Amino acid sequence: MDETEKRLVACFSAVFPELTAEEIGQASAMSVGSWDSVATVTLLSVVEEEFGFGIDVEDPGQFDSFQKFLNYLRGVGTGKQTAEDLV
Amino acid sequence: MKLAEALGTLKSMKQREGESFTCFLATGMNPLHLNTFFAAELSLLFPTRRIEVQTGLYGDFLGNLGRLARADADSGIVLMEWADLDPRLGVRSAAAWSASSCTDILSTVRARASQVQQIIGQTCQRMPVVLSTPTLPLPPISFAPGWQASSFEIELKAAVHSVTSHLSQCAQVRVVSSQRIDLVSPLQERFDVESELLTGFPYKLSHASALANLLAHLTRMRAPKKGLITDLDNTLWRGILGEAGIDGISWDLDHHSQMHAFYQRLLGALSAEGVLIAVASKNEQSLVEKAFSRKDLALTTNSIFPMEASWGPKSEAVTRILKTWNVGPDSVVFIDDSALELAEVKASHPDVECIQFPTKDSVAIYNLALHLRDLFGKSAILEEDSIRAESIRRSHVGMIYKEAAKATSTSFLDQVEAEMSFNFSKSPVDPRALELVNKTNQFNLNGKRHTETSWHKYLLGPASFLLVVSYSDKYGPLGKIAVIAGRQQEKTLNIDTWVMSCRAFSRRIEFRCLEELFTKFGVDEIELDYVATDRNSPLREFLGELLIEAPGPGCTISRKALEARSNNFSEPQEMTNG
Repeated sequence: MDETEKRLVACFSAVFPELTAEEIGQASAMSVGSWDSVATVTLLSVVEEEFGFGIDVEDPGQFDSFQKFLNYLRGVGTGKQTAEDLV
Repeated sequence: MKLAEALGTLKSMKQREGESFTCFLATGMNPLHLNTFFAAELSLLFPTRRIEVQTGLYGDFLGNLGRLARADADSGIVLMEWADLDPRLGVRSAAAWSASSCTDILSTVRARASQVQQIIGQTCQRMPVVLSTPTLPLPPISFAPGWQASSFEIELKAAVHSVTSHLSQCAQVRVVSSQRIDLVSPLQERFDVESELLTGFPYKLSHASALANLLAHLTRMRAPKKGLITDLDNTLWRGILGEAGIDGISWDLDHHSQMHAFYQRLLGALSAEGVLIAVASKNEQSLVEKAFSRKDLALTTNSIFPMEASWGPKSEAVTRILKTWNVGPDSVVFIDDSALELAEVKASHPDVECIQFPTKDSVAIYNLALHLRDLFGKSAILEEDSIRAESIRRSHVGMIYKEAAKATSTSFLDQVEAEMSFNFSKSPVDPRALELVNKTNQFNLNGKRHTETSWHKYLLGPASFLLVVSYSDKYGPLGKIAVIAGRQQEKTLNIDTWVMSCRAFSRRIEFRCLEELFTKFGVDEIELDYVATDRNSPLREFLGELLIEAPGPGCTISRKALEARSNNFSEPQEMTNG
């Protein structure tokens, strides 16, 4: 697990305190009962706060899994910064 | 506070089992992260209680105000932004802007502001209300360029000002300081347009965090500090008195020491507001007295008591001052320019807040003044505040203690020409009564505290009674110094609140209070909801001598026991650490 992933796990843990680190790695809006639209917006805000930049997104619903968040973060600075591109 | 930190705080709060504290947050926005920050800040201020923040419906500001008015909450929060007063002042509205719409918007805002004033005016009869007026910038509706304040903008702000001006007169309404929010959250860092469009939450996280912090601190006003002990040389004035002499010390523009006068003015104001001011200085007493005879000093000796000028350790001076004031060290601030002196005092009095005076740093002195205002600030100045210092000064003469030692209850009160008044009125609710309940530690039956709302609810109980005792004698008035509350059940009176200011000790007022209760209610016994606390030993000792045994929960005083003991009570004690 690299530094980016560790920090993202901490963000998910803040929003979904009931999940273990292992579960967070597999987390998605489908698999986590408490993952609703408010949780998505909260996740985006916590991630922006943690990583210090704004996530430019018209549809927050695109960010519906841990993996998509991670892909987005790894794409920052590469020109591929939307979740859609990184699916 | 960061959002992740706030979420973590709320997570740990979920395990609390204490009494709940409920707030109703009335706003037209989606409160989203502000709600999270606010609940987290409250949970830090109420470390044992479960925090519940209720909210209304999105976009229904006035409806939510109505819900607040009907809510069963401990406190209300009204968070008002421009779009709540007219949706056309927000970015989500599609309505056209024109000169005529400005006139109409102004008219709408005035009407809504009036409704807000009316509803909050009613709500604050039931619970304290914290009001935040618009913090976000106005959209560019007016024809004027951004650097010019248009009449439209000025009139809009005047409409809101009119509301806050009126409501700030109400004891139960606290308005968020726009100056403070400007300081902690720059205007350009507040509005999150994307978030507003996406979720209806218009704040950037930093602004939400800053605003939530202020709202929480207004919801739970912390007890102000009671006393300030100041050094003299290079603190109250510039220069070393012993070296420069009386004319060599300064606090004026000519000597570039004006900020010492600024500090003096602040101490003078604090003294007038009831804060105890003392001096602890390594100096010759006679020289200090001469220095204080200078007419240009902005702080007179009348504002200072006691004046401790000696060559001994400052920690010992602080000990003597605390004993004279009869207050706890955690209620006191010590200010000195010397880090060494601060450390020496801190080592002996770890609970005293020690602050270094930043001599020659005008900006830091200005900021110190702001910090002191926060530490000593209170919502209102009561009559008792203006007489506190003088009554302590009189008590210190020692006459009262000596006379008390020689006298029995009745004769002592006669000797000092004591006049006590007993007020059993429950309405209107006396704010001083709640202040005493929440500030008193030593003569406190059980340490139980109340919020404004719980106190109101308690007094609404049909069987409940409230006694507020005022006292004055030939040495001057002490004001309202004791509060007793409880319920009558047939031939027994149950008391669950009994507090008395430490300034009123050694006057046997506690005996007269019990006598008054027996007479007023015609009961044979008074049952006390006594609980030992870390600090209520004075009351424990009083009850112990009255009952001839250590008091316990539910202990009972009979009329006969009081009659037997009140005339044979031992020498009054001089209490410390109030």
